Amino acid sequence: MNLVILLAIAFGGALITYFSGKISKKLRDIFAVLISLALIGIVTGFYNVSSRNIFYTGFFDFPLILRIDTFSWFFAITTVALGSLCIIFSLSYIRTREKTDFYYLMMLLVNAAMLGIVLAGDLISLFVFWEIMSWSTFLLISYNQGHALAAGMKYIVMSIIGSLVMLVGILSLYTSFNTFDISQIAYGMSSASTGYILFILIIFGITFGIKNAVMPFHTWLPDAYAEAPSPFTAVLSGMLTRMGIYGFLLLMYVMVGLSSVITSKLLSFHYILTWLGAITIVIPTFIAMLQNDAKKLLAWHGIGQGGYMILGIAFGTNYALVGGIFHTLNHAIYIVLLFLSVAAVQYRTHGERDLNSLGGLIKKMPVAFIGALLGISGLIGIPLTNGFVSKWIIYKTLIIEGAPFLAFAALIGTWGTILSVYKFIHNMFLGQLPERYKDVTKLPINMQIPIVILSAAILLFGILPGIVLKVINSIVHSFGFEPLNVTLWGIASDTGALNMVNIFALILAASLVIWFIFKRIRKSIKINQYDSYAAGTTVPKDKYHYSVNFYDPLYRMISPYLKDFIDDFYMILARSIKNAGNGIRRIYSGDVGYYVMYIILFLALLIFIQINWELW
Amino acid sequence: MTTILEIIIVILLAGIIGLFFLGLSRKIMARIHWRYGPPIAQPVIDIIKLFNQTSMSHGILFNFGIIFSLAGSVVVLLFLPLGRICPLSGSGGLLVILYLMLVAPLGLTLSGGEAANPYASIGISRIFLLAMGYEVPLLLILLSVMTHYNSISIVQIVSIQLQTGWSFQHLPLLLPGIAYILIFPAILGLRPFELIQAPQEISSGPMAEYGGKFLALATIQHAFNVFIGISLFTNLFLGGAENPGYFFLKMLAVFIIFLFVNAVFPRFRIEQAIRYLWKWPTLLAFAGLVIVMITG
Repeated sequence: MNLVILLAIAFGGALITYFSGKISKKLRDIFAVLISLALIGIVTGFYNVSSRNIFYTGFFDFPLILRIDTFSWFFAITTVALGSLCIIFSLSYIRTREKTDFYYLMMLLVNAAMLGIVLAGDLISLFVFWEIMSWSTFLLISYNQGHALAAGMKYIVMSIIGSLVMLVGILSLYTSFNTFDISQIAYGMSSASTGYILFILIIFGITFGIKNAVMPFHTWLPDAYAEAPSPFTAVLSGMLTRMGIYGFLLLMYVMVGLSSVITSKLLSFHYILTWLGAITIVIPTFIAMLQNDAKKLLAWHGIGQGGYMILGIAFGTNYALVGGIFHTLNHAIYIVLLFLSVAAVQYRTHGERDLNSLGGLIKKMPVAFIGALLGISGLIGIPLTNGFVSKWIIYKTLIIEGAPFLAFAALIGTWGTILSVYKFIHNMFLGQLPERYKDVTKLPINMQIPIVILSAAILLFGILPGIVLKVINSIVHSFGFEPLNVTLWGIASDTGALNMVNIFALILAASLVIWFIFKRIRKSIKINQYDSYAAGTTVPKDKYHYSVNFYDPLYRMISPYLKDFIDDFYMILARSIKNAGNGIRRIYSGDVGYYVMYIILFLALLIFIQINWELW
Repeated sequence: MTTILEIIIVILLAGIIGLFFLGLSRKIMARIHWRYGPPIAQPVIDIIKLFNQTSMSHGILFNFGIIFSLAGSVVVLLFLPLGRICPLSGSGGLLVILYLMLVAPLGLTLSGGEAANPYASIGISRIFLLAMGYEVPLLLILLSVMTHYNSISIVQIVSIQLQTGWSFQHLPLLLPGIAYILIFPAILGLRPFELIQAPQEISSGPMAEYGGKFLALATIQHAFNVFIGISLFTNLFLGGAENPGYFFLKMLAVFIIFLFVNAVFPRFRIEQAIRYLWKWPTLLAFAGLVIVMITG
């Protein structure tokens, strides 16, 4: 199969879905699901295939190229798989809303554009797909109107800055090497000067840093995640933001290449990037603790987890790189799962996402609860979930290579995560069920399927990480690193092996034994939620849930230090530019008299200069 | 086969030692208060009694949370060397222990959360706040230990200590060791950090709704937790031991010292506890890690 056909199906499918929506809603839903599933099938067929197509030469005679190898295949399959799950989930989530045809068009367009980005073999097509992705994202973020418009505006402004910077980088590369082809640029870069390589790294680093929300470029993310329609937030957080990671990998290990890093002492760039990653882990994780909005809480974790990936790929040992790439996939799986669980709760509670007014939903939505539980376990990195394996790999290399302070930043991020995600799950699913939600019904089947699949994936990759590690190992090998000694159940190594199957077997055995004892002893009596200890009084309805200011003592201690100063700075910058613009506008008043006056004043100035200094 | 035997021995020994410590603590506390105190076997008697009582359950997660919590504690035990016995030396080392130690509190808190009781929720929030407080210095301490020995395997760390002396005798690890002593009562939940249960304030916190077999399992879990906390300290800083008997004596000495601290202190408020934990122990541990980095 040709790569061009793959992209044609992706883009054409989006249009077909849109127009079929004009005929019948059912037909459109079927098309949307079929196309996204077809893409999974086709991309799977490209496993272990290396191919390269020139698909268009009409653009000033530059060949536009599509290419696939294990590296882009890995990102492509993740994109299409998670994208299709989100579309299946959307079917009932979005049904009652307006402009649903437009929603599906944009969802499929975003997926197609991301596919284009990872398959692009030259910088022109990369840039074009990058822009399609940015703009359709903007339209989807603003889909809800209201606050969403401001959030979308914030996103698109930062995104445009990123794109323009990237354009400068692309043009600079073209003037140096006379080509847009990534593989030829990589060849040219190996003989480029250190200063030039550093320039390219910084220029593209800004673009990809904005997309991946690395501090200090993170400010667009919390609002955008919170305001976008929830199934799209899942796509946004799972893969779209991580196009930044794809970009960093492409930049640092394909275009610039490992050898020039080692020979020309570019490690200072890596060193600074690792520390940016560490800061990106710690600060957002603590800010997340202060959030009362379920989606904003997850959004701040999205920034924080991005820090682990940056830390991994910037640290630049084979372990760190494997950990970083694996964490990208793991994060995508559990964050999509978490956003879908929130979306499920929103769907049944009329869009409620305030953590202070939910509670007790575990009895009404067990599937959403299981999704949220496995999602937060992955986010924390509890053993047996996928997040643990990737974090373990990163920590291990940080400690063995003698960077304990980076390891400390990464570890403390985990403990901060526990606090906020427990609050997340407690305030939504545990505690007392408010009276107004006592008639909440189960989720529709098309919402349950993606949640169950993703939950299973978390456990599967957590217990048998070798399935994915094998693929990542070959990516890392293609970058020129020594491959790890990967087994199906973990990692075999002299400095510390990891064996997940052992741990799984033990936890399972211990739980079964205890459960067996528990069963055999006198059965306990089931009681309802109002039959609990209230120090001698009756349990008040709707008020017996400790959720507001869950970690109050800590809030009071840390909240003064955790304002988003960077966001404030950008806002001040935006305001002063606006004021300057207003000032300049006064000159152009529209009154002809003023313009005549300007001309006369200017001439007077020229005459004055000529009389005094006789310049001409 | 020997592995399975070792697993069973470790779990049994840990249970017996943990329950013995709980009984001993009540006895010693009573004597300090000039009371006679219950017999040492009182926790065992309580557990047998509790298993025979009727209990109330709030739902499936309420049951499974406590089961999962106990299972998590049991698995951590198998990673900690007890003398020379360590059934799972090759499965990930100290980092895995660190993360597996999360399973037990998470299970307990999920179970307690399902109970729909604010006392439980307040206790849970205190569990996490206190953990946040002591994890900051603890992680620095563990990182300085791992960096100093350049290993993430606890078995290796113990065997190096058996050759070159306790960690306290390695000068760079002196400050982290002192910091560990300062935060140790918080890890065990002893006074002045006995905030989580605080029976007079929040009715036993997360366990407010437990009765019967739930309380019995929670007590066993608590016994394991005491064992794990002391065992980690003994292995990392007091050189572990060649045989389980000697190891037990070391643990007993550590526990009794901290019981005396427990007996004479009142309870901190939670924010006082965090402020304390983030101040001196963290500074000492941080300085220790810097020294470890410099001395390589």
